[in-house]
Amino acid sequence: MPIQINKGVVGKEFPPYVVTVERGKIKEFARAIGDANPFHLDDRVGRASPWGDIIAPPTFTITFRDETADTGALLRELGTDISRVLHGEQEFEIFRPIRPGESYVCRSKVLDVYEKTGKSGPMAFVVRETAITDTTNEIVATMRHITVVRL
Amino acid sequence: MKYGTVYVDDVKVGDELPPLVKGPIQQIQLTRYAGASGDFNPIHQDDEFARAAGMGGVFAHGMLSMGFVAQALTDWAGAGSVRKLGVRFAGLVRLKDTVTCKGRVLAISSKDDVHTVELEVWAENQRGEKVVTGKAAVALPSRA
Repeated sequence: MPIQINKGVVGKEFPPYVVTVERGKIKEFARAIGDANPFHLDDRVGRASPWGDIIAPPTFTITFRDETADTGALLRELGTDISRVLHGEQEFEIFRPIRPGESYVCRSKVLDVYEKTGKSGPMAFVVRETAITDTTNEIVATMRHITVVRL
Repeated sequence: MKYGTVYVDDVKVGDELPPLVKGPIQQIQLTRYAGASGDFNPIHQDDEFARAAGMGGVFAHGMLSMGFVAQALTDWAGAGSVRKLGVRFAGLVRLKDTVTCKGRVLAISSKDDVHTVELEVWAENQRGEKVVTGKAAVALPSRA
């Protein structure tokens, strides 16, 4: 018997949250991927670069999270738990690189929920978008996440 | 050459990205990625939990494979060049799997001195099965 999820979550906007990027987190993230690019790791190379500092790898903004707006918060809204969840799709649009010491404002909302039956059974697809702006409200990046819930 | 500069003038539709080979995937890398990303879903750490969840055991964060694909792009086009990257997680990456990231140029366009190269990108395991498929756009400088 498939579980029910709360489709009323469509349109839900999570509370905005601010992230200040730590230099060490950028390096830790690059190293966890095994990406030794000096533009992510070497402060001297960063200072001499067009950005004046190291920059984060393209997928780094996935680390921007807050317990009031993360996947855990989404699951509480949906009425399900983490053991049923898979990452279906992910998209980044990057307008300029993320740098250490800067603060960013993240606004996430649920755009859509739809159900499909795949070879492993019925699934719900939850589409979220997170807009990341700087403190002057200029857009820096957007992320689109599709979370799959096995029903 | 690694971390070199690619000029848009030297890129043609159909060109292939230099493949980036990652792995074999070890549990320690998944633990490290959990810490670095903040994604502590036990399905990537705890084999018993992953089996009880019907997943047949631990598998890698999709975002780790996406990070590999992003690295393949920046190794080629340079850090800070990626404008768009969108993927579907098409298959699970398991412990001991090797992940090879590949790509191919689909289109090249220039507008207001911004040169954009669109690519199809994917990652496959050691059996040639695609685990990530998607598209990317990178901004490249020109020689002019």
